[in-house]
Amino acid sequence: MSNEHFTEPEVNENQNVSPLDDFDNAETVSAPSVSDDSILDFDDDPLSATSVSKKSLVIFFLIDTSGSMKGKKMGELNTVMEELIPEIRRVGEADTEVKVAVLTFSTEVRWMYSTPIPIEDFEWARLRASGVTSMGAAFKELNHRMSRNSFLSSPSLSFAPVIFLMTDGYPSDDYKEGLKELQTNSWYKFGLKAALGIGQEANDNILAEFTGSKDTVVHAYSGGQLAQMIKIIAVTSSQIGSKSMTLSDDTTHELGEEDVFAAKQKLLGQQIQELVNTQTDGDDVPFDTGW
Amino acid sequence: MFNGFSHSVMGASHEKTNLVCQDSSSYKIGDHYAIAVVADGHGSKKHFRSHLGSKFAVEATIEAIDRFYDDREALEENLPANHKLIIKNIEKQIISNWNMKVEKHLAENPVTNEEKSNFAPEEFEAIPPESYYGSTLVAAVSGDNYTFGVQIGDGSLVALFEDGKAVMPMEYNESAPANVTASVCNSNAAGMFSSFYAPNRKLIALYCSTDGLYTSFGSEHDFLDYHTIITSQLVNIETFKEIIMNNLTKRSHFGTEDDISLSCIYSENLLADRIDLINKRVTENKKAAADRKAAMLQKKI
Repeated sequence: MSNEHFTEPEVNENQNVSPLDDFDNAETVSAPSVSDDSILDFDDDPLSATSVSKKSLVIFFLIDTSGSMKGKKMGELNTVMEELIPEIRRVGEADTEVKVAVLTFSTEVRWMYSTPIPIEDFEWARLRASGVTSMGAAFKELNHRMSRNSFLSSPSLSFAPVIFLMTDGYPSDDYKEGLKELQTNSWYKFGLKAALGIGQEANDNILAEFTGSKDTVVHAYSGGQLAQMIKIIAVTSSQIGSKSMTLSDDTTHELGEEDVFAAKQKLLGQQIQELVNTQTDGDDVPFDTGW
Repeated sequence: MFNGFSHSVMGASHEKTNLVCQDSSSYKIGDHYAIAVVADGHGSKKHFRSHLGSKFAVEATIEAIDRFYDDREALEENLPANHKLIIKNIEKQIISNWNMKVEKHLAENPVTNEEKSNFAPEEFEAIPPESYYGSTLVAAVSGDNYTFGVQIGDGSLVALFEDGKAVMPMEYNESAPANVTASVCNSNAAGMFSSFYAPNRKLIALYCSTDGLYTSFGSEHDFLDYHTIITSQLVNIETFKEIIMNNLTKRSHFGTEDDISLSCIYSENLLADRIDLINKRVTENKKAAADRKAAMLQKKI
């Protein structure tokens, strides 16, 4: 006895009716029409127990929580990060699932959660500042976690990560050694990197070493600027990071991985600089005078 | 007695770019054996006939395996001692069959000017003709008390043996060059296969899928749980088939927008015998998923 079954791919021949119509109806209408057998109620679909994941992107925040961040800097950072979450959520509403991972570094390095958290479920844990600036150790920890066997294990992961570094001072450990390790990591190589220096002490050259370009380094000298810059970098980089660029507009010319990375990093630098140049200083009090 | 199903759906991204579905899938129920197979045509510029390449890969695989089953008793007698050699020979036969199909198709359907128009002349000359048809391949065979599988390129293979636990048994070939996508069109394709052999184990169900399915999940746990749920519903296959097909379309459209293929073979008798165990696994998996989520949301700072 022999029985062979070859499946022809299912193609929607009726251009006026999308096969999605059934799903849209079933998912948005609480009681699908019982008269139409073709409409499936996914509430009754046992397979809906395992949800569908959209293309996903992880944003890594590396945050300096050393003693020099104490006071207004950390207070402002906590406030702006709480406000930022809904804005990043909106980036993900289109067709990308955004996940967030926060690594803090002072005397020790610590993750806010033990794994990247979907932005819908993410709640900011208010940070406190103390200790020294172990930036090199943070780079090593990031290198360790940016792996398919660790924080980047999600099957739906479709984009290289966004990595956003925020610091107000000079590293107290050998940051170069940590950065050297991190630079061997493919996710770091192809990730979108941006950095924010807070106050006068932050060294933009070190930050540019981390991002690979001065265009993706910005500086905030006041609380108002800090809020503006964090929002500009986080929202812009997650928008660019979640953009599919494997094919160009004419769909016949393909971009390789390295071209996509270069194009995205360049776009990020341009957009950050454009947006930064349109910001106004206002009557903000600088961090280093009176905060 | 084995039964099965297979289904391919076109991804939203391919609809948007007016590409045809690049996936193919099939299954075959033989005498005391069954085959599941899926293939995913590469679909990029130089693989402009890969929707045909994936179809040829599926056909080539069933033909190659069937040939080895011409004398099933001899094959099964030899498998325990010589499974590596036999699987290697099946892989070679698949690639040989696929190349013959490609050569025949190309001879009967030379490349058109329209197909060439996307390339500069020297760019087109640099593409090996078999690359026009490049595809991945995932296939598995189950007999009465053994299962084996082969794979080249992306895709997944999930099996549920007697204990009702969903596992991914493929042993991946680490020697394949990391920067080259393994494909049936590679010049050394026969050496790029991954494979597995599971002797002395009765199979409840086995699934081959193209990577569009795997990438529609947020975690590997969810991916495995999905197969356990499908297995729990196979006892009502005729009514459940439509739900599976719609779910694959939903995953393709709301997930990574890629084509998705799923091919399944299962033992009707063993499934009926172990259905309570499978249902228990579904309940356990649901609780484990809730526990994982609760643990994930615990702040560490």
